[in-house]
Amino acid sequence: MELTILQIFLMIDIFVMGALADMAIRHAYAHFKQPQKQIEEKAPLKDKPQVADHLPAKVRERLIESSQIHFQSVLNRSATTLERDLKTTTSKMTKQLDKVGSEIILSEMKRYRGDLEALRKQAEAIIENAQRDVVEHQDELKTEMAKKQADLEAKLKDEIIAEKQELAGQIDSKLSNAVASFLVETMQHEIDLGAQTAYLTKMLDEHKAELVKELMDEA
Amino acid sequence: MKLKLPDSIASPQDVTALLFEVKEYSQWFAHESIKIESHIKHVSKSPELSTGAKILLQELSDKKPITKESLDELIGVLNKYCDNAPIMTITLAAPATNSVKEILVAWCRTNLAKNTLVNFQFNTSLLGGMVVRFGSHIFDWSFRRQILANKNNFPKVLRHV
Repeated sequence: MELTILQIFLMIDIFVMGALADMAIRHAYAHFKQPQKQIEEKAPLKDKPQVADHLPAKVRERLIESSQIHFQSVLNRSATTLERDLKTTTSKMTKQLDKVGSEIILSEMKRYRGDLEALRKQAEAIIENAQRDVVEHQDELKTEMAKKQADLEAKLKDEIIAEKQELAGQIDSKLSNAVASFLVETMQHEIDLGAQTAYLTKMLDEHKAELVKELMDEA
Repeated sequence: MKLKLPDSIASPQDVTALLFEVKEYSQWFAHESIKIESHIKHVSKSPELSTGAKILLQELSDKKPITKESLDELIGVLNKYCDNAPIMTITLAAPATNSVKEILVAWCRTNLAKNTLVNFQFNTSLLGGMVVRFGSHIFDWSFRRQILANKNNFPKVLRHV
């Protein structure tokens, strides 16, 4: 839309410039062709001596000079006016172009800023959505992690308890075997009292000297 | 008078009980002697005697006929026995059976002194073996002491299980 208005405006400007150029060319053409025309116009005057014949030559010459000077001054004034108008037009056109350019730039900037703002809002919305999704996902992950951790802890606890029980059983079994072996190796004879008779008499025999000495001391 | 107690008479309490039985028998014997001298036909029943007392009186009667004097002499010997016999105290891990008692008493009377008296006690914490107290000495030959004395060998045994 903006581009279409700009094009129309430029076309109007081109049209105005074309008109001005045409006018300038006409004026220029009139300016440079006038002496011959005046000569041609003057020639009939010579051919028509009956019109100026009643004026003295000097007056007529002075009138011609005066007319030429006046025409020259008019021509100069017209050229000056044209030049000034052209300058004014050019200045106005420049200003207008600057204004249009500025407006275009402003509108483009405004549109650009609007687009940027929209993009920014869209990006913010996307980011917010993404953040919300991330947070939700994190929450889900945390929940799942906590659940899995609890499951793992429970499983680990059960495994530890089972392993502990198994180890305790193994330790008990091994300890029992060890104690039994230890007792067997240490005592090396039956614990049954009836079966200890030989051991008891053996110990008495081994310490007989001490017992006899004690008996003698007592006596 | 030489006295040889059966091995079943082990402790001073056994000797005291035996002495009591012998005194009772002596009293009965005196009564019966008086009845015989008085020609009284009534005969009272002799007191119940333990196996040890029977053996002892049998040994006495084997040497010479039992008289009031011989019984009095036996009572005197038993009294001296109680006063002079060396006493040993043996503590076992369980109550000693008669066979165990007799074996240990026989060993003591064979190897230490013929009149040795043995007190038997029990303490389950010993696990096995025995603790002998004789005179002023205590000889600990219990399993408990052996286990505690060898407890440093426990890891070594454990490694071999």
